[in-house]
Amino acid sequence: MPNLVPHLLNGLSLGLLFALIALGFMLIVGVMELINLAHGSLFALGAYFAMVIIAPELSWLGSVGEGYQALPLAMRYGLAILLAPVLVAVVGMGLELCMRRTYGKKAEYGLLLTFGAALVIEEIIRLVWGPSEQYLQVPQAVSGAFLFAGLIYSKYKLFAALFAVFAILLVWLFLERTPYGAIIKAGAHDSEMVRALGINLTRLRLLVFGLGAGLAGLAGIVLTPIWGLRPHVGIDAVIPAFLIIVLGGIGSFWGAVLGGILVGLAVGITGAYASEWSLLSMYLLLIAVVTVRARGLLGRKSVLEA
Amino acid sequence: MSRRNLTRRSLLKKAGLLTAGVAATPFMGPWRYNRVYAAASDKPIVIGLTSDASGQYANSGASDRRGMQLAVSEFNKKGGVLGRKVETIHIDTETTPATGSRVAERLITRHECAFLIGAVSSGVANAISQVAQKYGTVYLNTNSSSPTESGKNCHRVKFVWDGNGTNFAQAAVKNAISAYGKKWLLMTNDYVWGHNTSKATRKLVDQFGGEIIDEILVPQGTRDFSAMLLKVQQAAPQVVAAAVGGDDQKAMRQQVSQLGLGQKMAWINNQQDWPDVYGLPIKNLFGVFGTTWYWKLDLPGVAEFVKRYQAAYPDTKIRVPGNVFYNGYMATRELLSAVERAGSTNNRKVIQQLEGLKVSARDRMQHHDAFMNPGTHQMQQTIYLATANAGTKDRDDMFKVLSQSSPAEVRDKGADAACKMESLDATPTYET
Repeated sequence: MPNLVPHLLNGLSLGLLFALIALGFMLIVGVMELINLAHGSLFALGAYFAMVIIAPELSWLGSVGEGYQALPLAMRYGLAILLAPVLVAVVGMGLELCMRRTYGKKAEYGLLLTFGAALVIEEIIRLVWGPSEQYLQVPQAVSGAFLFAGLIYSKYKLFAALFAVFAILLVWLFLERTPYGAIIKAGAHDSEMVRALGINLTRLRLLVFGLGAGLAGLAGIVLTPIWGLRPHVGIDAVIPAFLIIVLGGIGSFWGAVLGGILVGLAVGITGAYASEWSLLSMYLLLIAVVTVRARGLLGRKSVLEA
Repeated sequence: MSRRNLTRRSLLKKAGLLTAGVAATPFMGPWRYNRVYAAASDKPIVIGLTSDASGQYANSGASDRRGMQLAVSEFNKKGGVLGRKVETIHIDTETTPATGSRVAERLITRHECAFLIGAVSSGVANAISQVAQKYGTVYLNTNSSSPTESGKNCHRVKFVWDGNGTNFAQAAVKNAISAYGKKWLLMTNDYVWGHNTSKATRKLVDQFGGEIIDEILVPQGTRDFSAMLLKVQQAAPQVVAAAVGGDDQKAMRQQVSQLGLGQKMAWINNQQDWPDVYGLPIKNLFGVFGTTWYWKLDLPGVAEFVKRYQAAYPDTKIRVPGNVFYNGYMATRELLSAVERAGSTNNRKVIQQLEGLKVSARDRMQHHDAFMNPGTHQMQQTIYLATANAGTKDRDDMFKVLSQSSPAEVRDKGADAACKMESLDATPTYET
């Protein structure tokens, strides 16, 4: 039993990271009823933008460039965490502008467009930064390891899990405590009524898509120092994100968080005791949950249900 | 009842058609068994490149492809092969065996490729080779290294150019047991290459008095190794023998490095492909690992080969060639040379040439002469053990070569026994 505790803690931290990945995906699905297959590519793009902000090639800027590069890594990393998601959000908003022609049409149009966007973004990454493995630097204070109860843990993993908690709370506060959040939630609940109340739905969708894309980028910055950074790293994010929001209940904030934690625990515990099942475990969990509760753990009851 | 008159005109017409039919017989189907129709000297020799452009081995697949293409362009600059230009068609095999089969089928039947070249994943290589054997198309497995590729999954049409898991284990296990200890833990990618490499390692560890205390299977696509690495710590082995490849390996290296586990216990990585580590911080490159070639080997021809690579691919992010590129290049070069020696693209003649292949150490840019084992169709070559070149100033000079073993020292004897190859007569003739 004592052997299980480290794995439970590890699964929990992994779950928080999964929840962070799913957050942006959940927002877009919840409000726009759109499955954004470009979520993974935006995740990767965030990490690449961060890499450039942390270690840019600025020799052409002379002393200004040298001055920037001389800044402490922690400062450049902090700047990357703030700025890179904003840049990804701008890309996301650009994508939303392209999406507008698909609104009101069959869902396949939106799916195809975001799938196409995913391929295009991935290829652009490949063209700009090359196909090879890249390395996202992290500050010295959060790199390395620490010893706890006789086992070595990664400082960065702990930092990433705590950061995920912080990001989740921040998004929750935004949704619950700001008028913008209230509008987004209302939009997710009944978009027709929101429009009828005179709220600009077009702008709301743009904002939500930008926010969702920014969160995908943020998750990319946090996760890639663990997973590694390569142009197709996004595929590793989009599948769990989709699974988690179905598991937690589509459109449910806490459902996504709970789904992420359960997936993390399933992957973490099977990874230790039946590692060959570790990737499959999340799918088995999904099957088990939707078999008994089709709307997911915290999903809203459908009007069709008795 | 109708009556048909035999006139002079109809007789001539029928005789003409009959003559044309008889004359055309050697050029007609079934295509599967008889494809001599196209051996016209002006028709290009088309080679199908079956390398991954997506999935776990996308990056290595690109490197593999660059090797093949450089060899092809060098032959074309010399006037082609048998006076025919060599062309290539690439279709992404997606690091997926089912796609590999489809791609092979399409390249052979639709694009009429004379030869197929390329693989990094052993699962994909096995799938391609089954299709190739069905048609008799010579297939070069350039970079996949499961022992089964030249063992139980060997085929008459398939030639394997990389060292395999047993070769690398032979080079590493005995020394590692005496240097680091007898308690071993295996981390194994959960597919054909991982399993077969693990089997070979187990056998050698047993043979040299070691003990396998646990084995952790790593599903393909694993990105978070934290649970597995906690388990490794709980098991406290003296040596971890990892057969984890591609993107999985990159993620694992990163996480082992973050924990500093590379220094806590000895790590033996069966084989280290250059594209998997190129550009990473040196601290991620812990442990001892095998390779078939390194760009800083102090041997004749190596520096010039590096220059040719850089001239051919000035824009590639990998500024120096690695083992994957080398294998792709060498395999293609030897295939095209074999076609020239055979004087034909006829598969049986080419197979016979390749089965008798001997390459001097100088031509291979390795320490020992190499030869194709006619019983398994695996290239018998020098195997190097290397480690991180700590403290280097040259960021391309990442490896420090520790030792080199001759083909005889690392021979995979199990493959000789396991390989039951189709006879040449049972292999369909094929020529384009």
